[in-house]
This record gives sequence, structure tokens and C-alpha cells, in this order.
Amino acid sequence: MSRLNEVFKKLYKIGLVVTFAYFLLFLFYDIHNLDNNRKRYLSAHYISEGVQETGAINLVASVLYDYRAFDTLGEATMILTAATVLAFLVPISKATTFGTTFKSIVKQTVKLILPYLAVLGTYLILFGHVSPGGGFVGGVVLSIIAILLTITYSVEFSEYIVKPDQKKLVEDIGAIGFVLLGLLGVFTGSNFLANGQAYFGTGNAGEVFSAGLIPFINVMIGLKVGAGLAIIFNSLIKEK
Amino acid sequence: MEAAVWVIILPLLTAFFLGISKLYFKRIFFYLVTGSAIIYLYILIIVITHSYPPKVYSIGDWGLLGINVMVDPFSGLFLLMIAILFLPFIIFSMKYNKFLKHDYFIFAYLMVAGISGMVLTTDLFNLYVFMEVSTLSSCALSLYKKTDRGIEGTFKYLIMSTLGSFFILLATILTYYLTGTLNMAEIPLAFEDIPFKIKSTMMTLFVFGYAIKIGLIPLHAWLPDAYEDSPIPYNVLSSGLVLKSAVYALIRVLYIMFGIDFLDESGMLTIGVFWGVITFLIAHCLAFQQSNLNRLLAYSSIAQIAYIMIGLFVGTEAGLIAGSFHILNHAIMKGTLFLVVGIFSYSLNAVEKKDIKGLGYKFPILSFTFVVASLAIVGLPPFNGFMSKWLIVEAALEAGFVYAAFFILVGTFLSLTYYLKVIVTLYTKNEEELLIEEPSLSLKLPTFFLGSLCIVFGMVPSLPLNLITKIPTFLLDNGDYIRILLGG
Repeated sequence: MSRLNEVFKKLYKIGLVVTFAYFLLFLFYDIHNLDNNRKRYLSAHYISEGVQETGAINLVASVLYDYRAFDTLGEATMILTAATVLAFLVPISKATTFGTTFKSIVKQTVKLILPYLAVLGTYLILFGHVSPGGGFVGGVVLSIIAILLTITYSVEFSEYIVKPDQKKLVEDIGAIGFVLLGLLGVFTGSNFLANGQAYFGTGNAGEVFSAGLIPFINVMIGLKVGAGLAIIFNSLIKEK
Repeated sequence: MEAAVWVIILPLLTAFFLGISKLYFKRIFFYLVTGSAIIYLYILIIVITHSYPPKVYSIGDWGLLGINVMVDPFSGLFLLMIAILFLPFIIFSMKYNKFLKHDYFIFAYLMVAGISGMVLTTDLFNLYVFMEVSTLSSCALSLYKKTDRGIEGTFKYLIMSTLGSFFILLATILTYYLTGTLNMAEIPLAFEDIPFKIKSTMMTLFVFGYAIKIGLIPLHAWLPDAYEDSPIPYNVLSSGLVLKSAVYALIRVLYIMFGIDFLDESGMLTIGVFWGVITFLIAHCLAFQQSNLNRLLAYSSIAQIAYIMIGLFVGTEAGLIAGSFHILNHAIMKGTLFLVVGIFSYSLNAVEKKDIKGLGYKFPILSFTFVVASLAIVGLPPFNGFMSKWLIVEAALEAGFVYAAFFILVGTFLSLTYYLKVIVTLYTKNEEELLIEEPSLSLKLPTFFLGSLCIVFGMVPSLPLNLITKIPTFLLDNGDYIRILLGG
């Protein structure tokens, strides 16, 4: 009887998956056959006018930090919330030493890599509007410095180099900076998070000093994401 | 309408500054929290008074290319609820949490920022982003005590709300794929030539996702567990604002994007009313069995939100007014009940029903407030719950949902039974000597404020109804909303 039960349970699970797949197939078959190519005015506008209107060659940056900058504010807030939750959940205590110890060759190589990582991360952030990259990507690369220190040496060493309080401060400064940069638009008589409309001058597209507020917002996001991810990783690894 | 965007920014800025103040300037903490809450109240009042006729604020001055923020009477109602609940919440939790205050208020401010973003935005993806902000910080608040039961309940909450977010995100992506826009005014225009089958599938995804967040039966199991061992002031905001903001998003999406005609045609209105009836009948029966007061109030929240669903889903003007009025009233009544339970748990650590035996004689005024609020939530005149429940019954009868109207009366008797049980326990003589920590004025004052609102809104319902009667104009027929948002 119990074997029959097990077989039934397995069949039930498989049946659920098959039903769901069948349903999705039908749905997407219909959606795919729908003629909706003429309804692309928004993305067409972003592609054709984006460079002139925002001054950023990187179209992803122009959508993320100008057209839909408000979404980015919310997403960055989410990372901050997650980092705060994890830092709050894991008690402040001595971490257990990390399991594996590495040979000195690993430690020397990591020491060698770190400056290049810092340069790469900074480049990605500062040139986010003229080349692929941006605040989120650059921030992740910067946070890898702290993560590598944690993995190869230890949490204690990593937190001795960059204190948790300092990371938290950098994260908050990034968040506040983003909002204040948005408020610049309000103070110059335009709307919140306005860029080209608030006479900041989008400059010549392609130059480093162009695209108005986008590079500065990139810097703020980079600080926030870098510090936030480092906090998240160190908090998670401290958990016993 | 610059103030509208400040409603979202100010709590965000406060939360970020609180993060810095936690590290370096511990002394300004109190002034930062209360000062910001008072300024926030002022901004909210400005925005609410200008909510009719609706105003649009374009973020980044991009018009339809970017994200817009709009204040209309329905979002004005939610801002009114934030205005009523937030300052009492701040004052109460200042005293209630004896240690570790910074993170608590960071999460509280982030949560309010997320909720105000949800109710103001007119962009589908922006709605999703702010919903995630409010859900994540709400989870953080619910595990704030770090007890085992609290963490278990929060884990369920996190999993279930992530599942809900998944469906909502899927529906949002499909919407963008099909219409090429995320603006709520352009979507209904682009929706017209989309086949019925696809449209109803997308509606199902939206409804299922939000139903998890609202906690309709059978998707409710996380709610009582999350409430059981969380800080009680948080429960006030959760049942008053977090659940309601999901209701708001659902109603906004259904009525504006799909339109009342489609809802009627696809049978969503009938399903919504039927689901509401089933939900409150089961939730009342489950609430009857509970011995923990937090769980009892949580099940009662599920039932009350089912009443709201019935009101909002009968699909008439009277129904929308009644449902919106019950949203406001439930936030006030449940807030009062939770705050009284919070004081009991602060003074003598009593959250079980047997622990509060005889407290009616130790705290006469507080217990009276509890009785008032529980009679209001049952729906007895002359309190505010009676008013909105009566309006819901009337609207259901008018729209032809006779069974819903009948079962609401049955539900009233069911809820009377379990609230009477609590009240009887409260006034049973108890000879035991109790160790009581006298609650201070900053705990009592918010409670009395909300409790008195129960009576005021019951005696003079025209006060909030001035705002609420304007809601159907921009919700029932989505034409006006679309015209204003498109800048006509």
C-alpha cells in the first residue's frame, strides 16, 4: 500500500509539471502568434532618441539612470534593506575561522590582483555612461575586493582592513547622495531626478564629462552596491 | 504637485540618515525620528487635501516616457491611513522597544516609503519595485524579536510573498511584452485588441500573486504565524497598511488596466465576492479556536479583508465607497486592538487569552477602549465598523449578491462569539497578585487616539466620506483616470 502511495505521489508531481508546461505552451503559443510589432514606440524612442536626450552613449545607463531612475532608486533601496537585515540578523560575535587554509601562492596572487580589481571597478563606474558598465557592475567588482580578502585570509582580517561601520557609512552616503542628486533637479526649478531638463547640460555624447548627472549617480550607485554586497557576504559567512 | 514626491523621498532619506546616526550620532536619534514623522504628517496632509481633482507629477520631467506619480482620491485614502497610523506607531514603539531601536525605525521608515510609493505610482514595474521594498522591510520587522517562532513565521512569510512576487513579476513582464509600455494609462488602450484568453490568463496571474500577499484563504497560512511573535506595533502597520497596499495594487490593476467591463465579462467580480465569502466564514471559524491574542487578531484581519474584497468586487459605486470606507475603519479598529494587546504584553507579558483574566479591573480605561474597538470590528452601532459594514451589505444587496449580504450577517454573529469570549475573560474576577509595570502615557496616548477615532468616525461618518465618495469617479470608469494621466 505504501509503495502504491509513493508511486501515486510521484505521478502526481509529474502530472502537475506536465499540466503546467502544457498551460504555458498554450499561453506562449498564443502570445507569440500575436502581431504586436507596431506597439514598440517606447523602446523605439529610447533607441533612436536616447543619445540626444540624455547624452549617454550606453543606452542601458540612459534608461537606468535617466528615463527610469526612480526604479533604480527603489532597487538600490532593496539592496540596502537586504544588507541591513543580514547585518541585523547575524549577531556581533567572533566568527569561526574559515575552513580551508590556503598556500602562500594563493595569498600572494590575490594580493597582486586586488589593485587591478580596484582600477577595473572604478573604471566601470566612472565610464558607465560611455561604455558598457555602470554603477551596479562596478560596485559588484569593488565588492569582490572585500570578498576575496574574506575568503583567502579571514573575516577578521577583511573587517580589519575595511571596518563594518565604514562600509555601512559608505552605503548610506551612496543612498543619500542619490536622493540629493535627484533633489538638485527640484532646486533648479525642474522635477525630481531631472537631468537634461534641469539645464545640467548633457554635453557632447561620448566625452567623459557628459550626460549631466548620470556619471554622478553612477558613482553613488557604485558606492552603495559595493558596500552593500560586501556587508551581505561578510554577514552570511559569519553565520555559524 | 511637488509634495507628492516628497511623500516617498522623506521616509527614504530619514531611513538612510538613521543608518548614519546609528554609527556616529546616537544622540540625535530621537529628534530625527520624531521630527521627521511630524514633517511627514504635514506633507501628507498637504497632499491629501489636494487629491481632488487628481494631479500628476512627472519624475525627471519625461512625461509618458518615464515614470509618473499621481495623487487621486483612492491613493489619498491610503495616505490618510498612513497619516493616522504612523505618528501613533512611532510614539508607541519608542517606548515599547526597550533596546536596539535604530534598525527598527530604519525598517519602519523604509516600509512606509515602499507603501507610499506603491499607492502613488502609476507605473506597473515601479509598483512592483516599491512592493518589494515594503515586503522586505516588513519581513525584517516581523522577525525583529529574533525568537525561534518569530523566525519560523517570518520564513513562511518570506517564501510566500516571494512566490506572490514571482507571479506578479511574470504578469508584469507579459504585459510589457504584449503592449510595449508600462504606463497604467497606456496599457488599457493597448489592451483593447488583445484576445480574451490571454487577457484573462494575465488577470489570473495578477490575482493569484496579490491574493497571496493579501492572505485570502487558502493562501493565508503565513499570516498568523508571522504575527505571532513579532513586535506588536509592527502588527498595527502590517494589518493596517501592508496587507491593504496589496489590496490597493490589486484593485488598481484590475479596475484601471482591465476595466470594469472586462471584469464583469470574465466573471472576476462573481469570483471575487464568492472568494471573499468563503474566506471570512473560514477565518471566523479559525479565529474562534485561537488562544493567542495575536493569532486571533490575525485571523480576524483575514476576515475583515474579505469583507473589503466583497465591497470592492461588487462592482458598483456604492460597493467601492463601502469597501474603501471599511479599509480605513479596519485600519483604525485593528490598530486599537493591537495597541491594547501591545500594552498588556508590555506591562505583564500577556499575549495568551488566559493571561488577561481580570485585567478589566486593573486597566479600566484601556479595557474599555478594547471593548469599544472589538464591538466596532464586530459591527455594532454606533461605532465606525457598523457604518462601513452596513454600506457593504447594502451595496451587495443592490448589486444582486444576496447570498453575500446574508453571510455577512452570519459572519457578524461568528465574530461576536470570539470577541465576546475575550471580553468576558477580560472582566472575569481574578484574585491572583499580578506583577504589573505601569504603562506610561506615551503608550496610552496613541491607543486612546485610535480608540476615540472609532467612535468619532461612527458618529460623524461624513468626515472621511467626503474624501471617499470621490473614489469611484476615477476608479469605476477608467476613462477619467486615463485622460488625466495622459495629460488631457
